[in-house]
This record gives sequence, C-alpha cells and structure tokens, in this order.
Amino acid sequence: MKRWHIFTRGLVKENAVLILMIGLCPALAVSGTVRDAFGMGLAATFVLFFSNVIIAMIRKSVPNEVRIPIFILIISTFVTIIDYFMQAFQPDLYRALGVFVPLIVVNCMILGRAEAFASKNSVINAALDGLGVGIGFTLALTVMGSIREILGNGTFLGMTAFGEAFRKTPVIFMILSPGAFLLIGILKALINKYVKKE
Amino acid sequence: MTSTRQMIVTLFMVALVCSIVLSCVYSFTSPRIADTQNQLTLAGLKEVSAAQEFVEIIPDTLWRALDSSGNCSGIVFRVFPQGYGGSIPITVGLDLDGEITGVRIASAAEGMKETPGLGAKITEKDFIEQFKGKKASEVPLKRDGGEVDAITAATISSRAVCEGIKAGIGKYTNYLGAEPNKMNVFPVAQEFVEIVKEKLWYALLGTDTLGIVFVSSAEGYCDCITFMVGVNKDGEITGVEIVYSNETPGIGEKIREREFLDEFTEGMPEAITGATISSTALIEAIKNDIEHYMEYLK
Repeated sequence: MKRWHIFTRGLVKENAVLILMIGLCPALAVSGTVRDAFGMGLAATFVLFFSNVIIAMIRKSVPNEVRIPIFILIISTFVTIIDYFMQAFQPDLYRALGVFVPLIVVNCMILGRAEAFASKNSVINAALDGLGVGIGFTLALTVMGSIREILGNGTFLGMTAFGEAFRKTPVIFMILSPGAFLLIGILKALINKYVKKE
Repeated sequence: MTSTRQMIVTLFMVALVCSIVLSCVYSFTSPRIADTQNQLTLAGLKEVSAAQEFVEIIPDTLWRALDSSGNCSGIVFRVFPQGYGGSIPITVGLDLDGEITGVRIASAAEGMKETPGLGAKITEKDFIEQFKGKKASEVPLKRDGGEVDAITAATISSRAVCEGIKAGIGKYTNYLGAEPNKMNVFPVAQEFVEIVKEKLWYALLGTDTLGIVFVSSAEGYCDCITFMVGVNKDGEITGVEIVYSNETPGIGEKIREREFLDEFTEGMPEAITGATISSTALIEAIKNDIEHYMEYLK
C-alpha cells in the first residue's frame, strides 16, 4: 500500500502544477492546445521517470558536494534524448513546443524530485514517484489545454467543438497568455474548495 | 567529507557515460531528423507549386521548380516580412509569367507569431487563396492600390504578408528564366567545362576545344536582360538564348523571338523595329562580351 501511495500522491494530492505550484512556466506557456499540452506532459514524464530511476540507482556513489551537477547532467541527457526523438519523429509537435523542450532541464519539478526523493529512496520507489508526478503534470496540462483550446479556439484536438458558429468567434482571450493565468487561478480556487487538505 | 579526487572521478564518469549515450542517440536520430526536415520542406514547396522537383538555388530561400520532364516551370521563394508579433514565414510559388501559383504561410506551430484569432487568420484559405494568379502589381491590399482584401481587424498582419510577397517577387524575379541549356547555344559540342562559375564554359568535342559559352547581361528598357551565347574559335556566334528578360510585352520582349535570335549566327542582326532599345542593348552587350572573352578562344 505504501508503494501505491507513492505513485498516487503525485496525481492529485501533491499535483505539481495545481497544488505545489511548480513547473508553472511550461504549464502556462504550452497549454494553448490539447496536443501541445499532452506532448509536453509526456516529454516531462519521460525525463522525470528516467532521471529518477538513474539517480536512485547511483545515489550511494554520488558525493554530496557534487550531487547537483550530476543530477543536472543526467536530467539534461534525457532532455536531449527526448529532444532528438521529437525532432525526428514528431517534428510538428517539436516546433510547437519550441524552447520549452530544452527548458525541461531547468524545470524545478524534475530537479526537485531528484533532490527530495530519488536521491534518498530505492529505485522502484523513485520510478513510481517519477511516474506519478509526471502523470499528474500531464493531467494538469491536458485539462488546461482542453479548456483553453475548446473555449479559445472552438476546437478539441483540432476537431470542431460546439459547432461552426462558435469556432468562428471563440473566446480568443482564453488562448492568449492572460487566459492561462486566469484559468490556473480558477482551477486552484476550485481545488482549494473541494480537495481536502491533510 | 568526500575527497576531492572522488568528486572529480564521479563527475567525470557521469559526464563520460552521458556523452556516450548522447552520441549514440544522435547518430541514430540525425539522419531521421535531416530526412524529416527535407520532407517537410518538400511538402511546403509542393503546396505552392505544381512542380515535381525543386532545385535549391539559395539555401532555404529560393528554389527552381522543375516539371515532370525536367523543364523549369517557375520558382519558389521564402520571405519573412515583419508582422505584428514577429516575422511571418511565407512561401510563394511563381510561374514563368511571374504569376503567383500559391502562397503558404507557416502555422503558429512553425513559428508564425501573429495574434491567435486575429492576425493568425492570415493562414486561412479565404485570405491566401486570393493571391493565386496575381502579379506583383496586384498583390498589395485594396486600400494600398492592389487587389487583395485585408482581414478585418488584422490589417497590420495582412499588409505585412502583401508587402512581403511583393518585395520577394521583386527580389527573385530575376531567377524566373528557364535553366539555360548550353547545348542550345553550342549544338556541336558534347561536353562543357566550367571556367568561371555559372558564367563561362569551354565547349568540348572529344578532347578538342571548339569554343566558349558564356552567360552575361545587358541593361534593357525595363530591367536587365540576361543571355547565354556560344562562340566558336573563329569568333562566330553559334547560338544565343535569353535567360531572363522582363521587357515590355509585345514590344521589347520580341528579343525573345527565335527569328531574331537565330540572326546572330549569321553576323550581327539589325535592331528590331519598335524595340530598338531592348534589341540594341542586347546586340551591343553581346559584341562587347565577345571581345571581352576573346582571350579564352586562343
């Protein structure tokens, strides 16, 4: 049960974006459409999972003084790998995410999990933690992306939602930057009201 | 406390492993990345031109469009005019008459930064379809004296697109001429050896040098006239082709007529009546160039 708890707490209870308010930069910047948001979420999950696993694996032989540079090296290696693969196999998504793919390196969510959890726990627990936090991040981004794309562009995954008339005159505001701030504020307020605090 | 050596060794090992992994991933993905890039570029070019093949003239900027039999059917160029939110990447196809065959504006995902819902409407069909079949003079917005309808509430972006396309046509129209064929101006030769890049060639038959072929230009009535000439060892012209000209249709453009061009092989022709400026410019330029290139004939 403890393992199950490690996995699930990143999903909702300690959701990086909506509860802990970290990793906000990509959450605000690339949640304009569902596809971009989901792609970003998957990329971050990949990096989070593998960097957590590797860091947990070598945690006993990493000298305390140089742990941060080592973590960053490992994280940036995985970011570069996902960057190359996305360029090769998902060029459209790669162009849409732009600079936010390389910026995963400095996402405090990932270094945060490495420092706070993976460097002190077993490989399996670190893997579950990385997966949980990553999926939670993906969920939050996908929810934001869906709302913003439906309201702001009148489409969902590129398909027309709410009919042609709405697609022609959507709430443009939602797809622009201020819409992202407004939405995350509303989501945060809803969560504060309905999700019980421990 | 950890010893300094242990720190250095660990850091070094991690860095080494990371770089080995990365170089493997890179060598695996880089051909795919290049491939994907090429496919995307080609798909973008095919959207604005019906041509089968594209020959890059200026990297990432200008292509010569070839039809299925390998003849030049026009050009495709890219321009990046400044819009409201940043530069707008536009790909434009032109046919040999200087008419637009198609326009493609990069989507937001490809780096177009106009405001979603407003300026970004420049990517919509209703707007870009307007450019098809238009010439440079018709491209500006209606309020700027052209024939293109601006998008309501997106005048800056619409104008940027129009001005960008117009400027691009002005800049690259020189490349519209069909790829000149050296065989046409020196039919006896079998092989051509380049002496000056894209300008001067030796015409060879077996190992014998028969003469030269050169490309040069003259100041015409409207624009420069670019031509290709073949000259044999005796200084006699073997053929003349117009590579590019943009003279007055029906008047100055008569210099392109076969009858006139063929006269060059029998000594210098007379100027064309009604097109004196264009034809004289061509005749004088050819005379001067032959003198200029005489030394290569010896």
